[in-house]
Amino acid sequence: MFLFILKRILQSAPVLLLVTAVTFFMIHAAPGGPFSQERAVPPEVIKRLNERYHLDEPIWQQFVGYLGHLLHGDFGPSFKYPTHTVNDLIAAGFPATFELALYATLFALVIGLTAGIIASLKPNSLQDYVPMSAAMLGICLPSFVLGPILLLVFGIWLQWLPVAGWGQIAGDKILPSITLGAAYAAYIARISRGSMLEILSQDYIRTARAKGLSNARIIFVHALRGAITPVISFLGPAIAGLLAGSFVVETIFQIPGLGRFYVQAAFNRDYTMIMGCTIFFAFLIVVFNLLADVLLVLLNPKVRQEVSGGH
Amino acid sequence: MKYSLHIFLIFISLLVLSACEKRKTLVEIGNEQQVLHVGNPDEIADVDPHTTTGSTEHNVQTALFEGLVVQEPETLEIKPAVADTWSVSDDGKIYRFHIRDTAKWSNGDKLVAKDFVDTWHRALLPALGNQWASYLFVIKNAEAFYKGELKDFNDVGVKALSDQDLEITLANNTPYFLQLLNHNSMYPLHTKTILKFGAIDERSTLWTRAENFVGNGPFMLNEWTPQKLISVVKNPNYWDVQNVRLNEIRFYPIQSEVNAERSYRAGQVHLFDKLPAEKVSSYSDKKDPALRTFQMYGTYFYRFNTTIKPLNDVRVRKALAYALDRESLVKNVTGGGELAAYTLTPPNAYGYTSNTKIPYDPNRAKALLAEAGYPNGLGFPKFKLLYNTTEVHQKIALAIQEMWKKSLGIEIQLENQEWKTFLENQRTMNYQICRSSWVGDYVDPDTFLQLFITDGGNNETGWSNPVYDQLIKNAASATNEAERFEYFQQAEKILNDEVPIIPIYTYVRNRLVSPSVKNWKNHLQDFWVYKDLYLEPQATK
Amino acid sequence: MTEFKINIEKGTSLTHDAFMRLRKNNMAMIGLCILIFFIAIALLTPLIAPYTYEGQNLELGATPPSALHWLGTDVLGRDQLTRIMYGSRVSLMVGFIATAVALLIGVLWGAIAGFLGGRVDAIMMRIVDALYALPFTIFIILLTVIFGSSMLLLFLAIGAVEWLTMARIVRGQVLTIKGQEFVEAAITMGLSPWQIITRHLIPNVLGPIIVYTTLTIPSVILLESFLSFLGLGIQPPQSSWGSLISGGTETMEEYPWLLIFPGLALSLTLFSLNFLGDGLRDALDPRASKD
Repeated sequence: MFLFILKRILQSAPVLLLVTAVTFFMIHAAPGGPFSQERAVPPEVIKRLNERYHLDEPIWQQFVGYLGHLLHGDFGPSFKYPTHTVNDLIAAGFPATFELALYATLFALVIGLTAGIIASLKPNSLQDYVPMSAAMLGICLPSFVLGPILLLVFGIWLQWLPVAGWGQIAGDKILPSITLGAAYAAYIARISRGSMLEILSQDYIRTARAKGLSNARIIFVHALRGAITPVISFLGPAIAGLLAGSFVVETIFQIPGLGRFYVQAAFNRDYTMIMGCTIFFAFLIVVFNLLADVLLVLLNPKVRQEVSGGH
Repeated sequence: MKYSLHIFLIFISLLVLSACEKRKTLVEIGNEQQVLHVGNPDEIADVDPHTTTGSTEHNVQTALFEGLVVQEPETLEIKPAVADTWSVSDDGKIYRFHIRDTAKWSNGDKLVAKDFVDTWHRALLPALGNQWASYLFVIKNAEAFYKGELKDFNDVGVKALSDQDLEITLANNTPYFLQLLNHNSMYPLHTKTILKFGAIDERSTLWTRAENFVGNGPFMLNEWTPQKLISVVKNPNYWDVQNVRLNEIRFYPIQSEVNAERSYRAGQVHLFDKLPAEKVSSYSDKKDPALRTFQMYGTYFYRFNTTIKPLNDVRVRKALAYALDRESLVKNVTGGGELAAYTLTPPNAYGYTSNTKIPYDPNRAKALLAEAGYPNGLGFPKFKLLYNTTEVHQKIALAIQEMWKKSLGIEIQLENQEWKTFLENQRTMNYQICRSSWVGDYVDPDTFLQLFITDGGNNETGWSNPVYDQLIKNAASATNEAERFEYFQQAEKILNDEVPIIPIYTYVRNRLVSPSVKNWKNHLQDFWVYKDLYLEPQATK
Repeated sequence: MTEFKINIEKGTSLTHDAFMRLRKNNMAMIGLCILIFFIAIALLTPLIAPYTYEGQNLELGATPPSALHWLGTDVLGRDQLTRIMYGSRVSLMVGFIATAVALLIGVLWGAIAGFLGGRVDAIMMRIVDALYALPFTIFIILLTVIFGSSMLLLFLAIGAVEWLTMARIVRGQVLTIKGQEFVEAAITMGLSPWQIITRHLIPNVLGPIIVYTTLTIPSVILLESFLSFLGLGIQPPQSSWGSLISGGTETMEEYPWLLIFPGLALSLTLFSLNFLGDGLRDALDPRASKD
């Protein structure tokens, strides 16, 4: 198992290098530079700024220079917010994003699994349609629609919850977490319903039933264990997606998170910030995929055998 | 299954319970503690006025610094600030300021005349890359120093005669010079602090961090957490601290106007930058006292690329301009009470209103287009209208596309690009017609008419007229206001005859300012002034 | 969706039975009808649209539904029914084509990786991981920034993102069933790996594939709307459901109909896709027929 994890970590190094290279050349190919603005910037000023940030060097040289800094764990100063280093900005923005993604995932898991299991017990009945239709709402409404609706209803009309901020006013984390988690709750509901149905119709469950095991025991001990496998393979990348996709929710609820920094960096041509965030997120994605795989292996003895025996 | 239902119900009831008790909003708490909550349109790049240019930064800088003089927002009258008195020579070229004895920096240091000399010296150091450097070029020899033609800063027209007396010699008579002094590019900086954290001409050092910062404004930097909060608190060393009633201002970066409006309604900010046009009527209909509507010194216009066919033909440009029903645009499309514009300079700026204009005249537009060889738009080449991606620009572009189609028979394509790409294409003139705007740096026609001098950095139309250039030069060296304005009138007439741009509307800003905020004043350039503000708790509804 | 039909038609009597079962499922059939209705509208729009999609009436402005404009007009006085109809063309096309691309690549990739296992599996899944590690939101933003937004780019970009999850899910499923008797039986019978994958593995993991497909189409349509939200979607005056919805969100209090109707069109489509997917899932489950 340990070897398996170590191997995966080593394998991800070239992945990260590739991500770095592709992003680097792509952002430098994008039209417009970090210093352009509506009021014409005098050419001599642009020249000085380019010199200062080495943007006047050939692109490959810039890339090598960047890699050099990267090896020291230095993402460099942000171009748009030059008094801050990218490392600082990531450190400042990530906790909020991570917390948001965590709450959203918990919300999604609780609601999604509940709805999925309830629905799978009596397929094609009201007990199936109602939770699944409710789950569908999460998928049908993009977060930029759901967010403002929740915000209007609970924040402005009912005045129950704050509409902006993160950790500044009590309760300001509720609406963003629900908004971000809703779509994933729906996905989990559908995936778990699908795999529950699959499993409940399999022979070993029938055997268990025939043996007279209680329904709850069958569902929670036997079926759920199998049904959760696809949910977990979905969850690894989903959490990574949640982190990167939290941009919309962070914007709507004015959360000082990394997702917001990141997307704005792309529009601002904040080269170092884009690079730093891309590498950071890529790293996170690798980690979460690995975690999902490890969990899968632990949950499924057959795969476990294969992993330890096969390598 | 029952368990999961229970979990679900418990979750929902927790949610409801936690929310039910009536909270006090930030605004209500702020009113009691004299803490102003402000929605700023973006995260600031830095606090240093020499390395930043945006209004976002400016909104914070006006709290942290103060110039020699300030401007009364509504009347634009110049009032004493760091300088308590000043005198001007008869030819308008030599200004002498007396710096008040009580002027201090936030760390308690005395603020002296030399601080201004050192600050402006820094502003003109080429290595700093100050984008506002040209602002100081009104000062004698400043431009030569900036360009390296002059090595000794002592030859530049800024001198500290004593700790208290500052003498400034200008290159020309510049009637708007006192206005410039209220601009962020002219604020004094504490150069000793700057030197503590790096070379004097080094950009973006740590001197602007809250724990290092030293300024001279009514407030001083207290906290700066990127994308979250900038907090400034009352500066105890400010010379007029007894008249500063706010204890703290908290700036939140809110990128979307729609979100900002919701924060306002939820009582999380007292005021924010701009009320979106669609929301204006819902406030104006019920005569909400929070709604402030005021004209700005800015113009929304379209640029022509005058170097390509057929837009190099003045008749075509005129036809396109005359065909635009700007009255209908501001009435039906923009919706924020904007004023239709028929010339570049906004009306009534310190007594200057252009006496020529680019009219709306669809019949002449048709005739001109036929004259240029495209009767009813026949054979008119396909071209693109470029704008940057926002709802407002899109609505206007769509309406204009339809107007040209209906009245001239011309089909155009729209192309929206995100901001930086758009800027790049505008800068390199890789467009045919593009959307543009300009907000005056100071209230004087000069700030607008300067744009279109030959090869001006902000010309970006390829248009050039030597007579126009000469008139702008003449205005700069004119000795009295009537003469200056006459040159500007003539220059603007040329602009309106040759139509390198189509003025569309004069900006009007709609802003919500909570009624609990007292003394908030609108300013033609939308400078935010906090010194006199105070908060009065509102009777609860 | 085309893949399924191909699978169904060239299949054995088992899939014929499945089709019969599907016909008995009311919700699925209603979903199918709604879907066909929207597809028909998308195809016929140029013939039946009451107005042109770019025609304005500035004097009229935004009006709620009326006899002249059944679904109201937007701020420029454009007929919303027409714009939703034209929008359906864009949105459905993006949804179906990009999903088809994702499905084809993802299913084959996942099944092959899962079945062959070992080194091949490791390499194939590392490639998926590598692609996964790219933060695609930013990549799509960068791509549209560099190349401008175009339909083709949208298909490619979205298709390239979506197949990854499909591959992972299929692989996960294949891993769990591959040890089962019927697969082992097929191996001992000497069937080629390709035959085993296409005849035994894929049909048996069809449930999750269909469920995920019914989730992919909406998520693709939503991804397009997300790009519209960022201002990187389709060029105006054309419309897509995503661009209409993201525009409608801004003014949902002033002109709610600008959000409700495009939102309804989107939701109905997504709901029907899902019920159809559920129906297909139940109908295709081979074991269900033993009851």
